[in-house]
Amino acid sequence: MEKLLTLWYGSGVYNLTPGQAVMILVGMLLLYLAIAKKFEPLLLVPIGFGGILANIPEAGLALSALDQAIEVAKPAVLERIAGALGVALDPQASAEAWRELLKGVVEEEATADALRAGRDVAASVGYGDGMLYSFYKVAIASGIAPLIIFMGVGAMTDFGPLLANPRTLFLGAAAQFGIFATLFGAVGLSSLGVMDFSLNQAAAIGIIGGADGPTSIYVSSVLAPELLGAIAVAAYAYMALVPLIQPPIMRLLTSQKEREITMTQLRPVSKREKIAFPIAILLLVAFFLPDAAPLLGMFCFGNLMRECGVVERLSDTAQNALINIVTIILGLSVGSKLMADSFLAVETLGILSLGIVAFGIGTCAGVLMAKLLNVVSRVPINPLIGSAGVSAVPMAARVSNKVGLEANPHNFLLMHAMGPNVAGVIGSAVAAGVMIKYLG
Amino acid sequence: MQDMQLLEEGLSLMALGMGFVFVFLTLLVIVTTLMSKFIGRFFPEPVTPAVPTTRGRAASQASQNEDVMVAISAAVHRYRRRHRR
Repeated sequence: MEKLLTLWYGSGVYNLTPGQAVMILVGMLLLYLAIAKKFEPLLLVPIGFGGILANIPEAGLALSALDQAIEVAKPAVLERIAGALGVALDPQASAEAWRELLKGVVEEEATADALRAGRDVAASVGYGDGMLYSFYKVAIASGIAPLIIFMGVGAMTDFGPLLANPRTLFLGAAAQFGIFATLFGAVGLSSLGVMDFSLNQAAAIGIIGGADGPTSIYVSSVLAPELLGAIAVAAYAYMALVPLIQPPIMRLLTSQKEREITMTQLRPVSKREKIAFPIAILLLVAFFLPDAAPLLGMFCFGNLMRECGVVERLSDTAQNALINIVTIILGLSVGSKLMADSFLAVETLGILSLGIVAFGIGTCAGVLMAKLLNVVSRVPINPLIGSAGVSAVPMAARVSNKVGLEANPHNFLLMHAMGPNVAGVIGSAVAAGVMIKYLG
Repeated sequence: MQDMQLLEEGLSLMALGMGFVFVFLTLLVIVTTLMSKFIGRFFPEPVTPAVPTTRGRAASQASQNEDVMVAISAAVHRYRRRHRR
């Protein structure tokens, strides 16, 4: 009988907390959205599955060795850990109270040395880092995974349309207004007392408006790792929703006549220009904004590999095999941040709603900028391509094309919209660099 | 008045960030335009030499096919232009 009870006490059902149950359902919801609704399946499948794995009771896949020991170890071990951390435990209190106390200490006040000592104790009694925790440490905490993905995106990007019409870079710049407006919105919410975001957190939330998954993950891993799960989920979910969010805003801001504007054929771009362009960006970054160097450096490197034409094999690996491998690990690592105690908070709702506002404002700013350009320049510009200034390559450009075709069935805007689209990628990486420079 | 300070800091980051993004991309527009002009002027793409047409019967057959292709694409082009609006 006693053996049976031990089995029961060790089972998932007995240990499942309500929070974990909700988070497992959230993971299932993400899987449903990815599989049945085809929302960014390449990322939401690993993220959703990682989220479920991270919330399996007692398994502690997303916890470090020390957290795991505090969570499940015997009271004798807890005493040793408390000794290592330099905390006095109240002998009258229960083991549960001790666990709570130790968790608080590890999260907030413990010094780096005390944490190392605590980790040693946990390791000596046989606790190890959880699998997802190790993935997270290697892939995201080090910043590597988003950067490698950015390299792959660079290797997939064709700057031809942008080089043929460099003014579209202004559209990519204008659409970044969404990022900063959202930052201000988040700060405003916390000064009104509705939510409680620090300036760093507000900046990380704002980056969702850049509609660029790897950039959002990179920035939040630097500025606000505690919000990473919610931010990554919001960023990818809204990128999938671009075809639903953008068209109403675009129709609202433009007249039928403006939507019908046909644009002149793009001039052909020589191979040498395409080779020189990533190097030109790199030099500008080196001179003016070294903080954007990790993101834009990898992006330019990937693009140079594509355009120079002598390293086909490397370029092929960067845009296929490597980016796929890293996507799997990145997705699982983001999933590890979907733990009940950090995800199930009012802040998450705030992030989700601010994120969608960020998208909307970015789209508006891009369209308005395109209208302005149309007024001042001799060559006509269809305002619909302005909305492609939010990165989300190539989804946003396809949306511009589709709305343009509705107005005029012979007007193909896709190539014209690719210019602001890749400009948006550069713009959001620059915005990320400014944030990191200012706050990091 | 911690709140006001936070708001002010948010506002200044917004102005600074947006300003910098614009300055940087304006620079990039200028650099790109100059770079394109420079390359177009001093390092133009080598012009591919025209393929010699005298290559016997098979070649004349191929060039006939090419003529047909040219005619078709011209027609398509004209059709599209007429029906654009």
